[in-house]
Amino acid sequence: MEMRYFELIKPGTNHDFVRYRGIAVTISIILNVLVLLGAFVWPKLNYGVDFAGGTELQIHFKKPVDVGELRSEVDKLGFGEPTVQRYGAESENQFLVRVERIALLTKEKADAVKADVQQSMPSMTSMRFDPEVGDKLDFSFKQPVNEDALRAAVEKAGAQVKEIRPLMAREGQDREYTVITQGPGDKIGSALRARYGLDQVDIVRTEYVGPQVGKQLRIDGILAVLYAMAMILVYVGFRFDFRFSPGVVIALIHDAIITLGFFLISRHEFNLTSVTVILTVVGYSVNDTIVVYDRIRENAKRYKGKPLRDLINLSINEMLGRTILTSGATALSLLGLLLYGVGTIWDFAAAMLVGIISGTYSTWYIASPMTIWLEEHMAQRKAMEAAKPKPKKPDTPQTAAAR
Amino acid sequence: MDRAWYWKAGLIVAITLLAIYALVPSVTYFRLPAGERNEASVFERARPKWAPARHLNLGLDLQGGIHLVMGVEVDRAVREKAVRRAEELAAEMERKDVKGADVRGDPDTGIVTVTVPDVSKAKDVIAEYNDMYVRKSSGNAIELAMKDDAVKQLKESAVDQAVKAIRNRVDKWGVSEPTIAKRGDASILVQLPGYSNPEKAKELIGKTAQLEFRIVDDTDTSLTQLKDLPPGITLDWDRYTGAGDATVSSPFLRSKDRALLEQYIKDKAPKDHMFAIGRIEERAKGEAVYRTYLLDRRQGLTGEYITDARVAFDQSPGEGNRPYVQLTFNKTGADLFGKLTKDNVKKRMAIVLDDTVDSAPIIQSEIPGGVCSIHLGGLKPINEILQEAKDLALVLKSGALPAPVRILEERSVGASLGPELIRRGSMAALVGLLAVLAFMAFYYRFSGVIADIALVLNGLVVLAIMAAIDSTLTLPGIAGFVLTLGMAVDANVLINERIREELKSGKNIGAAVKTGYEKVFWTIFDGHVTALVAGFVIRAYGSGPVRGFATTLIIGLLASMFTSIVVTRTVVEWFVGHGRLHKAVSF
Repeated sequence: MEMRYFELIKPGTNHDFVRYRGIAVTISIILNVLVLLGAFVWPKLNYGVDFAGGTELQIHFKKPVDVGELRSEVDKLGFGEPTVQRYGAESENQFLVRVERIALLTKEKADAVKADVQQSMPSMTSMRFDPEVGDKLDFSFKQPVNEDALRAAVEKAGAQVKEIRPLMAREGQDREYTVITQGPGDKIGSALRARYGLDQVDIVRTEYVGPQVGKQLRIDGILAVLYAMAMILVYVGFRFDFRFSPGVVIALIHDAIITLGFFLISRHEFNLTSVTVILTVVGYSVNDTIVVYDRIRENAKRYKGKPLRDLINLSINEMLGRTILTSGATALSLLGLLLYGVGTIWDFAAAMLVGIISGTYSTWYIASPMTIWLEEHMAQRKAMEAAKPKPKKPDTPQTAAAR
Repeated sequence: MDRAWYWKAGLIVAITLLAIYALVPSVTYFRLPAGERNEASVFERARPKWAPARHLNLGLDLQGGIHLVMGVEVDRAVREKAVRRAEELAAEMERKDVKGADVRGDPDTGIVTVTVPDVSKAKDVIAEYNDMYVRKSSGNAIELAMKDDAVKQLKESAVDQAVKAIRNRVDKWGVSEPTIAKRGDASILVQLPGYSNPEKAKELIGKTAQLEFRIVDDTDTSLTQLKDLPPGITLDWDRYTGAGDATVSSPFLRSKDRALLEQYIKDKAPKDHMFAIGRIEERAKGEAVYRTYLLDRRQGLTGEYITDARVAFDQSPGEGNRPYVQLTFNKTGADLFGKLTKDNVKKRMAIVLDDTVDSAPIIQSEIPGGVCSIHLGGLKPINEILQEAKDLALVLKSGALPAPVRILEERSVGASLGPELIRRGSMAALVGLLAVLAFMAFYYRFSGVIADIALVLNGLVVLAIMAAIDSTLTLPGIAGFVLTLGMAVDANVLINERIREELKSGKNIGAAVKTGYEKVFWTIFDGHVTALVAGFVIRAYGSGPVRGFATTLIIGLLASMFTSIVVTRTVVEWFVGHGRLHKAVSF
C-alpha cells in the first residue's frame, strides 16, 4: 500500500555526519573557548542584581523618556557605573536601572556621625558600623532616647535617615537603636521625581541584593549546573554504557556554554532565571542524544560486525526526522513566550531556543564523534599493547575503527 | 479489549474527573475581582461547599507584593548567651563559696574568662555547665567558650524564635497566604503577596516582640449576653478545674477569620478589661482558628524582666519525664511575678506576644524566687506537650532576647504590573499550546489529535496538582508549564515515528502499535528522567520564582509520562481494537 503521510525527512537519507566531525568539533571548540573567555575575562556577562549585588529599580514613566538622558540623570548621583536599560517595548516607557551597591556611608563618614551623635547625646555608649552592610548604624544608649532627637542628630551629621528601629533590651542593659540610612533606591527615586515630576515616575519594582548573597548565588549556580551534569552522567552511564557517557557530557557542556553565549552576545541580563535556562537546557538536550544512542544500541544488535562509524551514521540518519521534529515541537511551544514574554521571560524563551538548537547540533556533531574517538583511542591503545613485544607502527585511526 | 484495558480507561476517566474537581475552587477564585479574592471570607462564601478548599495562588510577580530575606544575627545571639552564662556562673561561684572568683564574659568574642585562686574548686563548678568547655587554662585563668553543639542549638533556636515572632506579626496584619520559611543559612524568607508597602513591612518585622503576662478573667459571662453572632463566629466554652476543685466554665468566641473576630469584639470588653485574640492550631485540619480571651487590664507584667526560658523535664516519680517550661526572672521581675501569681492562684495567666495570646496556663500556686515553671498539657501525649513547651519557651525568649535581624534581600513588585503580566502570561501559554496542538494535528492527523487530547489532559492534571498542593503560579512557572507541553509532545512524536517505521517494515497495525509503544518506552523514560534531574537540581538551588519554574516542570514531566504514554495508548488501542484505524492516514 502507498504511504501517504507527511514526512519531513525522506527515508533512505544518508547524510555523512561523521565525515564532518573534525570541522564541526574544531568550530565548536573555538566557539566554546570564545564564549568562556567572553563570559569570564572580557567583556564579561551582564550580571543582574542577583549575582552582582546592588540595587535594581524597574521604573515606569508616564511620558516617553530618552534613555541617554535618564542615564546621565542617574550618573549624576555618583553610584559608580549605573546600568540603564529599556524594559519591554519602547511604547511602554519602562526602564531597568541598576547601580552597584556602594556603601553610602564610608567608614570615615560613620566615624564622623558617631562623634557628632556622641556630642549631642551624651548617654550614647557605643555605635557599631559594618562597611559590608553600608547603610546600618547600631547605637546603644544608657537609657531610652527620643527617636526624633536621634534622627535629628544623625541627619545633622550629614547622613539621610530612612528609618529608626528601636530594639528592646533587657533591664539594666543598654537601650539599642538601629538607624537605617537612605539607600541608592531611595536616592534614585527621589532624584528622578525631582527631575521628571512627582506623578510621572512610578517605581514598579525594587530589588536589593547584598554583595555576599550575590557571590554565594553565583557559586551555588555554578555548583548546581555541575551537580546536574554529574547526575545525568551517572544516569546515562548506568542506563547505557560508560562508553557513551563522555560523549553525552561533552555535548551537555557544549550546550550549556552555547546557551551562556546567548547572554554574552545579546548583553541581556544574566540572573537566576538564566541559570535556570542553562539547567533546563542541560536536562533537555540529552533527550536527542538518548534517542540516537538508543538507536545505535539497537542497530548494533541488528547489524553485528558493522563498524561503529557506520552504525552511528546510520542511526543519526534514521533518527534525523525524529530529532528535528521533537526539537521543533518544543521550540514551537516557546512561540507564545517569544511573542508575549517581556524581560526575563523573553530571555528565558530565546535562550532556551538557542539551547534546543545547540542540543540538536551537538547530538549529531559532538556526542557521536566523541564516542567514535573514544572507541578509536581504546582500540589504538589495545593495538599498541598488543604490538609491544615486537615494536611495530601502531594502527592508524581509520583502520582501527574499521575493525 | 481485555480486562487491563478497561482498568486503564477507568483510571483515565477517574483522573480527569478528579483534576476537574480539584480545579473548581481555582475557577471560583479567579472569577472573583482581583481586589477581593484574597479575603478569606469572600472566597469562602463564593466557593461551592462540595469543592476542595485549596486553589491556585498567584505568585508575587503576578499579583504584586514583597519578598524579603531576613538574616538572623545568630552569632550575636551566641555571644550574648555566653555573657549571660558568665553572670550565672559568677552567682554560682559565690553560692558554692569559691573565693575571689572573677568571671567576665566578653560581648565581642563570646569568650568567658574566669580568674580564680582555687582553680580546681572552680573547675568543679564549671564542670556542671555542660554547654561550655574549657578553651584554655593557664595559671589562675580559665577561658571558657560555648560548645559546638550548644552553639548549633542556640543558633537554630534564634532563627526559630525570629520565625515565630515574624509569623505572629504577619498573621496580625491579615496578609493572605504569606510565606514565612526558615532557610538553611540562618535566614528567613518572607513573602507577602498583595502587600505593597515595603517600608511598613520592614518596620513591623524588624521590631522586637512585645511580651506580657496578664490574668484571664473567667468569671465574666457577658459574652453569653451577645445576641445574633455574625456568621463565622461561634460561642464556645473553656472548662478546667479551678480553686477548690470547682469546675470553671468560661465562654469565648471563635472564628476562622481573625479580622472579623477582632472587628466584632472591639468595644465589647467590660470596664478595666480587654479582649485579646489567640490562635488555636487545629493540627488535624491544618487551618488556623482564632479565639478570644478576656484579660484583666489592672494586673500584669511585661516580658522585659525575663532573662531566660527553656524546656526542662520533670524528674519526680510518677510524672514520667513530663516536659515543662522554666523561666528565669531578674530580681525586680521575680518580686512582681511572685505577687501576681500569689494573688491569682488557680486562675489562668495569658502569655501575650504582640497582642496575641500564645497560651493561657493555669497558675497552680504562688511562684516566688524568680524561677517559674509553666506546666502544660493535661492528658496529651508527651511529644505534643514537648512541642508546645518548646514553642512556648521560644515565645517567652523572643520577648527576652532579641536576636537582631537584618534585611539581606528585598524585592517588591507593584500590583499595577500584575494584570498586564497575567494577560501576557496567559496569551503566551495559549499561543504555545495552540501552536503545538496545530502542529501535531497537521503532521500526524488522527493520532496527532489523540496526542492533542492527551496534551490538554496533561495541562489540566498539572494545574490540578498545583492547586491541590497549594503551590503558587509565577511567571517562570507559566514558562515551565509551556515548556513541559512541548516536552510532553516529544514523546508522542517519538511514538508515532516509531509506529510509522514498524508499519513500513510490514507489520500489521496492531503489532506496529504494540512494538512502537514498547520499544520507545525506555527512550522516553530516560529523556524524562534526565529532565527531572535538572528540575530537582533547580528546585534545590533556586528560590522564589525559580522554584516555581522547577515545581511546574517536575509536575509537568511526571504528568506527561502518564498522558503521553498511557492515555494515548489506551485511546489508540480502542480504535485498533475496533478496526477503525486506516494505517496510511492514521500515523
